[in-house]
Amino acid sequence: MAGIADLGVGIGWRSEIDLTVERLPGVDFVEVVAENLHIGHLPESVTLLLERGIPVLPHAVSLSLGGADPVDLNRVEHLGKVAEAVGAPMVSDHVCFVRAGGLDSGHLMPVPRTKDALDVLVANVKLAQENLPVPLALENVAALLEWPDGELSEGQFLAELVERTGCWLLVDVANLYANARNIGTDPERFLDEIPLERLAYVHVAGGEHHGDVYHDTHAHAVLPEVLGVLDELCSRVRPPGVLLERDDNYPSDTEIASELAAIRAVVDKHGPAQWLN
Amino acid sequence: MVTPLTAQGTQLSAEQVGYLSAGPGRAAETALARLIDGGLVRVSRDGLVTAVHQNNHGATTGVEARILSYARTPVRFDTIVQSTAHSTEMTQLHQHLLDQGLMQHPRRRNPAWGFSLLLAAVLLLLGFVTPVLFLGVPIAVGFGLWQRGRKAVTRAGKEALLHVAATDRVHNVAVYGFCGKVNRRPVAEDFGLSQSIVKMLPLNQRRKRRSSSDGGGCGVSGGCGSSSCSSSSSCSSSSGSSCGGGGGSCGGGGGS
Ligand SMILES: [Fe+2]
Repeated sequence: MAGIADLGVGIGWRSEIDLTVERLPGVDFVEVVAENLHIGHLPESVTLLLERGIPVLPHAVSLSLGGADPVDLNRVEHLGKVAEAVGAPMVSDHVCFVRAGGLDSGHLMPVPRTKDALDVLVANVKLAQENLPVPLALENVAALLEWPDGELSEGQFLAELVERTGCWLLVDVANLYANARNIGTDPERFLDEIPLERLAYVHVAGGEHHGDVYHDTHAHAVLPEVLGVLDELCSRVRPPGVLLERDDNYPSDTEIASELAAIRAVVDKHGPAQWLN
Repeated sequence: MVTPLTAQGTQLSAEQVGYLSAGPGRAAETALARLIDGGLVRVSRDGLVTAVHQNNHGATTGVEARILSYARTPVRFDTIVQSTAHSTEMTQLHQHLLDQGLMQHPRRRNPAWGFSLLLAAVLLLLGFVTPVLFLGVPIAVGFGLWQRGRKAVTRAGKEALLHVAATDRVHNVAVYGFCGKVNRRPVAEDFGLSQSIVKMLPLNQRRKRRSSSDGGGCGVSGGCGSSSCSSSSSCSSSSGSSCGGGGGSCGGGGGS
């Protein structure tokens, strides 16, 4: 897919760390939360990054494409407008639902892995794609629970979603690790089952263990185990891009730079460094 | 930088230099500058200050610890400076400067002080006619001088400041403030802070800015208008009295 290759290593742009993102070495691309941006009034920092030629990819959290409620086309339109405003080659959201029956979950809820739920998801994704100016990538979420009566593994579910919609995959290795730890998903099987040739890019994030449970907080350091899952992924395919997500408790510039360097080291371990930086 | 010594041989910290230069607001700016310099807080483009760690890690003074506590959640640049200027820790810094003899409690200037001196002059003239009136001259002069007020920074404090050479960006803030300039370059720029951020500071604090065109190292006697540095023009003449000159309203962030 044109424009997706060689994104490099990036970081989620957040207003609290805008100056940090601007001055950090080794930031090849950034991701913005689409719902936080206003068309016609882009943050100065985002404009500056665009002027420097840094790709800016909009990431949505509210399309609720896995839900039974009708897709809110206003939200899709906003995402599309953000993509056009920043000249993004693609946009993304999650394989989840966040609303049902007029209630907002406030969290990315996993979709039941049944054929029926997949039909609903596929229909919603197709509708979103028809209303978006650029390709759509969908991300695996960290599930706090697993719905009963699942008919497909997570990998099979995503593979079928890609086959029926032509969407791209945004693989979050921290979510993959969280699911392995919390609900017993096998990351290797997941990676075996998904079509890696449709991999748009990868998310890496930090979290912490609380007893037997792993919390995908995005507010702690990236654990070696999560980098291990990235390593496993990179042993199968060189991802077009890898992005560090940090949403709170932002550490020092030095620590963020080290996390980016650690990510780059894992990717480069599996092949010659091709990314510009 | 050359750390100035007090008459007692005590080294002045950047915070103390800031306080002596322009009051608690400047001292708060200086502490914030040190934390930014140390990578312990970050400031965003829209002027939100956030601590990098949640446990006051890295604070070297009580004032710095106070700022880190405030900044555990994002807080506006101007709010954190003003809140810190009014904090207990700042009062303690002020008390320390009082104890060191570098500051004193200022007395507010009475607008009638000039009248007392005029009365003294009249009594002096009339004394040549009625000599007993000469007795009133020293009384009128003394009363006038008392009414004239007293600056917050003592002679010792001013002498200590004379030895201050601002040769790093933290001391540039102490001496000139975030709104000041060094070599016509805004001090804020050294910290990657835009003018829109520093302009959040209240106007009276910004007016305390100073500037230098001599690359720093100029002597300081406590205020914008009475410095030995050659000004490059941004020094506001309206703030010539600076700390204590007008009687107690030392520092833009409010007084302790
Ligand atoms: Fe993610």
